[in-house]
Amino acid sequence: MAKTDTKQNKISFQNIFPFLGLALILVLFTILTQGKLFSRAALKSTLNDGLYILMGTAGFTFLCAEGEMDFSIGYNMGVSCAVCCLVANAVNIYVAVPAAILTGIVIGLVNGLIVTKTHIMSMIATMGMMFILQGLVLVLLNGSVLQAPLTMLKMYTDPLKIFLLIATVVLGYLLLEKTKFGRVAKAVGACPEAVRQTGINSDRIKLITYIIVGGICGILGFVSLARTGSATNSTGGTLMFNALCATLMGAVPLTGGPTTKFRGAVLGTLTISFLVTGMTLLRISATNQQLIKGLIFLVAVGVSFDRKNMKVIK
Amino acid sequence: MSDENLLLKVEHMYKSFGITKALQDVSFGLRRGQVLGLIGENGSGKSTVTSIIAALQPADSGEMFLEGKPYAPKNSVEAQEHGIAMILQEKGTFDLLTVAKNIFVGKEERFVRHGFLDGKAMVREAQKALDTIGADDIRAEKPLASLNFEERKLVEVARAMYNDPTILVVDETTTALSRNGRDILYKIMEKMKSEGKSVIFISHDLDEIMEVCDTVTILRDGIYIDTIEKKDYEPALLRRLMVGREVSDHYYRTDMESCKNPEVVLRMDHVSCKDVKDVSFELHKGEILGFGGLGDCGMHILGNVAFGLTDPDLGKVTAGDGTVIKNSQVAMSKKIAYISKNRDQETLMVSCSIKDNVCLASYDKIKKGPFVFKKDENQFIKESSEGLEIKMRDTDQYVMELSGGNKQKVALAKWLGFGADIFILDCPTRGIDIGVKSNIYQLMIRLREEGKSIIMISEELAEVIGMSDRVIILKEGKISGEFTREQQLTELMLIDYMV
Repeated sequence: MAKTDTKQNKISFQNIFPFLGLALILVLFTILTQGKLFSRAALKSTLNDGLYILMGTAGFTFLCAEGEMDFSIGYNMGVSCAVCCLVANAVNIYVAVPAAILTGIVIGLVNGLIVTKTHIMSMIATMGMMFILQGLVLVLLNGSVLQAPLTMLKMYTDPLKIFLLIATVVLGYLLLEKTKFGRVAKAVGACPEAVRQTGINSDRIKLITYIIVGGICGILGFVSLARTGSATNSTGGTLMFNALCATLMGAVPLTGGPTTKFRGAVLGTLTISFLVTGMTLLRISATNQQLIKGLIFLVAVGVSFDRKNMKVIK
Repeated sequence: MSDENLLLKVEHMYKSFGITKALQDVSFGLRRGQVLGLIGENGSGKSTVTSIIAALQPADSGEMFLEGKPYAPKNSVEAQEHGIAMILQEKGTFDLLTVAKNIFVGKEERFVRHGFLDGKAMVREAQKALDTIGADDIRAEKPLASLNFEERKLVEVARAMYNDPTILVVDETTTALSRNGRDILYKIMEKMKSEGKSVIFISHDLDEIMEVCDTVTILRDGIYIDTIEKKDYEPALLRRLMVGREVSDHYYRTDMESCKNPEVVLRMDHVSCKDVKDVSFELHKGEILGFGGLGDCGMHILGNVAFGLTDPDLGKVTAGDGTVIKNSQVAMSKKIAYISKNRDQETLMVSCSIKDNVCLASYDKIKKGPFVFKKDENQFIKESSEGLEIKMRDTDQYVMELSGGNKQKVALAKWLGFGADIFILDCPTRGIDIGVKSNIYQLMIRLREEGKSIIMISEELAEVIGMSDRVIILKEGKISGEFTREQQLTELMLIDYMV
């Protein structure tokens, strides 16, 4: 039937859209930077930035599969980073790592509880959380910058980065595509009522996902501290938007459901990471970078959505 | 059939959706004062041809003539101006608006006075429209969300009738209506007939078709098969023409004995909840327990309660071993399965594949270690759907692409694969054609023989009587009668207890 055909076209377009986006960015910036995009320094920078984006996007992909959202991930990372720094100074750097992760998990848990228990829409709930955390960072840092012990910097090694990168891709892929949890997560996004009528507690699935995403933010808080040696009120500020852009460029549907693919998270991450590096190489200022990313965000939303099935793109 | 008596003529109509030929050279005529039944299995093209008549979609080729003049409406507004109104199979109302606003949606300008909407005049007109069709207990000023499913359908009927159409298309509307609602619709059709207006009536219920239609046109796979006049009606003939092969008259159970197993597997104890008042019953092993009543008698909510989806205000539901069914997880641990009346919204994930749907309840069974593999899923589906013959391209096909009957088979496969012992089936054959219906009845008989228990909730008395070991009739939320199979039940006997 006609409906079926367009559906399949749509899906195949959804399948190629991430590849197209990535190819476009790669070609465009290779030309504009005269090949410097693939220089050693640029690739290293892409890896450094890409790690944050990848882990954030991986978390987003699970949330999106369930039709959920978390706007607070950036400042969750900021708070985790601040806590990590405080503990590193007060106790030692080894206790600081689990402290950061625990902080992230607790914030994720609170997000999850708000969404599942009070039934406030996740966009609204986590936006509120974002403002709270933004304030909390300032309180924790006393409004200024906090330095970590210098030994912390030694923890930011290539093996750590590579380990996190590979672990995220492998675990993320297996969890979303090859386990009951992943299948059910997509089902929750597709039709919550059918999931409920199959005796599955979708609140539990959502809660676990928020906790995982919180844990990711905690890890990133630590990574950020180890990388820069300091916790500031702008730590994690770009994470949410970068991850959101990557999610969209990966054609991960924000409304959830079975068309969510982990592959999209990886492709979207590559696209946005190279975009960020490329723009930095071209010496585009941070404010203008924001502007360009905003445009890409809108284009990605506009192009990748199956508009026939919904009145408003949420 | 003289030409001046012909109100609408459809000639050589073709319509394709991609490779699917929905209509191939379909021609038929509609006389003045005629109720024309349109029957055929799912996908036979009934809804397609009527939606073309109502200009909801264009035909690929073919012509239509209205009162002898070429009729080629560009959109549904134009069709309405020509006096053609349609009541759709799907829900076509807006929950957040009032009844009045629903009736006049898109026609609000009629009630604009000095730039402002005269809400009172609109409500008055809407109430008049409702009163005219005999649905005067629906108040026009109420929000639509406060109405039940049947009342909403009647609001759609009032909307369609407001323009005083010369041709009314009724597409599968009566499946959503109780006896009372049906009577309202039948009265309207009678009235139209007496005024020389015409009705095209689509239904899966052959008995209903034979009762209300003067003539029946049969479609099969998008092809016009035959037109039969009322005097030549014969159920077996119509069924054969629809399906294209001989279908036995007796697709219900043929034995007349009720279940004698004393073992109780599910017990409802003085349950009160919403419309339901103090209902108690026991379900036995190997028993088909049928529930019948009007659409709003409370029987549908009973299925919900029995599966732990709705907490009863009073009373409790327990499994055979005394475990209280307090939520659907407990229900499933006691091997209870539930298929909702609103299958597409509540039981199936229509935007997911057949595989996702069938496996959803059973990942714990399918997974090897922590992982779910495609190969095991496919094997699982093969085993679960054995004997169901789901018509599909492959297991990755989206459920929304399937016909109603095949969707129901997917829902059944899900629970068969899960290994349920107790099946709560709410309207298991609603909107399903005869071929699949008989498959589902055969499956129920097989399950019963295997010692499984079934609660069948249905608004079709014929199937309740035909399949059940025991029938419980509900009236206004209370049990008004209980009968066993041996009593040789007839519909007339039961209707007395329903109203």
